[in-house]
Amino acid sequence: MNTLALQLFGQLGGSLVAVLLLAAIAWKLGLGGDIRIRSEDQARQLAGEAIWGFDAVAVGLDRAGIAALLRDGQGRVMLLRRHGAHFAARLIESHSGVRLDRNFLTITAAEPSFGAVTLDLGANAQVWAGSLRRPDP
Amino acid sequence: MPVFDPVPYAIPAFVALILAEMLWARARAPQAYEPRDTLASLMLGLGSTAAGLLTGGAIFAAATWPYQFRLFELGWQWWVWALAFVLDDFGYYWGHRLGHRVRWFWAAHVNHHSSQHYNLSTALRQTWTGTLALSFLFRIPLALLGFHPAMLATCAGFNLIYQFWIHTEAIGRLPRWFEAVMNTPSHHRVHHATNPVYLDRNYAGVFIVWDRLFGSFQRELANERIHYGVVKQLGSFNVLWAAFHEWIGMFGDVWQAPWRHKFGYIWHAPGWSHDGGRETTDMIRERWREREAMTADRNAECRETSHG
Repeated sequence: MNTLALQLFGQLGGSLVAVLLLAAIAWKLGLGGDIRIRSEDQARQLAGEAIWGFDAVAVGLDRAGIAALLRDGQGRVMLLRRHGAHFAARLIESHSGVRLDRNFLTITAAEPSFGAVTLDLGANAQVWAGSLRRPDP
Repeated sequence: MPVFDPVPYAIPAFVALILAEMLWARARAPQAYEPRDTLASLMLGLGSTAAGLLTGGAIFAAATWPYQFRLFELGWQWWVWALAFVLDDFGYYWGHRLGHRVRWFWAAHVNHHSSQHYNLSTALRQTWTGTLALSFLFRIPLALLGFHPAMLATCAGFNLIYQFWIHTEAIGRLPRWFEAVMNTPSHHRVHHATNPVYLDRNYAGVFIVWDRLFGSFQRELANERIHYGVVKQLGSFNVLWAAFHEWIGMFGDVWQAPWRHKFGYIWHAPGWSHDGGRETTDMIRERWREREAMTADRNAECRETSHG
């Protein structure tokens, strides 16, 4: 292996160490925090930011505040979930990824990278599960 | 003439400034950073450096070939360096603009925008596939004019270094004269925003004058809180997904589309679909404009009613 290759590997190795160190420092400093959805109004606001113009008429808020289900006037249902220190959303276009277990509703988005979210919706879980199985509100 | 790449020399400063910004965030805005997001951004930066090492020679060769047919003998005087830096930034502006307006180029560029954070680590969230997408072609014509490829490579390095410090919320507005000419944290925050009023604005690298000249400038508004990222947020910290998701999505769309629409998914704007089932940024902005106009009309009616 020539000197140039060694130098390049050294540069990449050093950069990798710096990357891991910076991420560890961010974690150690407690950056990011523990954000939650505190109210239905906040969930509506977050939904409108996630998909511009999404005006929720119904909100199902997870008891821990890590996710919410929202329905707009057109009958579209949005799954809003915590993503680090922010929130990300997807429209639920199929009921095939919806599973009800008493008060818990698990929703798997069509996009595998978005993952599955379990919402504790209390008694509303059954209502949301039922409505997700209907094509229209 | 050997190529001088200034970027490796800037890396220690990048690390020190990220550390300083983290300390600022701890005191003033803890949510400005998120450890997993930081790790993803920095790993994308590292991957981009590795990709650059693998493909840099090919890009240099691509610039050297037209240099044989150069129109002028420009040489190495100081003013040629200055002119090269300005014109390279002009090329960057157009390449970057198309990087947002054509899905093929967007597939390579999107990972720079896929963080919902805006901090110095976001600056290093660079593409792995820019060479594959041929994004560098916009900066090559200068070699045909007579600027030496080694000079262009050095200018591109300094351009990248300049753009590092503008990825921060820690700096507000700078003096008016500076904001008028240069790209600044304020201008570039607008560029990374998903608010309809800010979508696809401020493509500048170093000089914001290109946006002012070509109608893509938008100033940061005091009453509009910025939301960062992309219109369909990634929702994942997976580095590989961040680097390749748009390519996978684009080729999936091409595969599924009817024959006459296949290439539309490559050269139209991101969000375009042949059946109109999705939205481009222009469509989102149009909806926003309509709603703003309706709100303004309603407010005017209310005022008239209350005065009448």
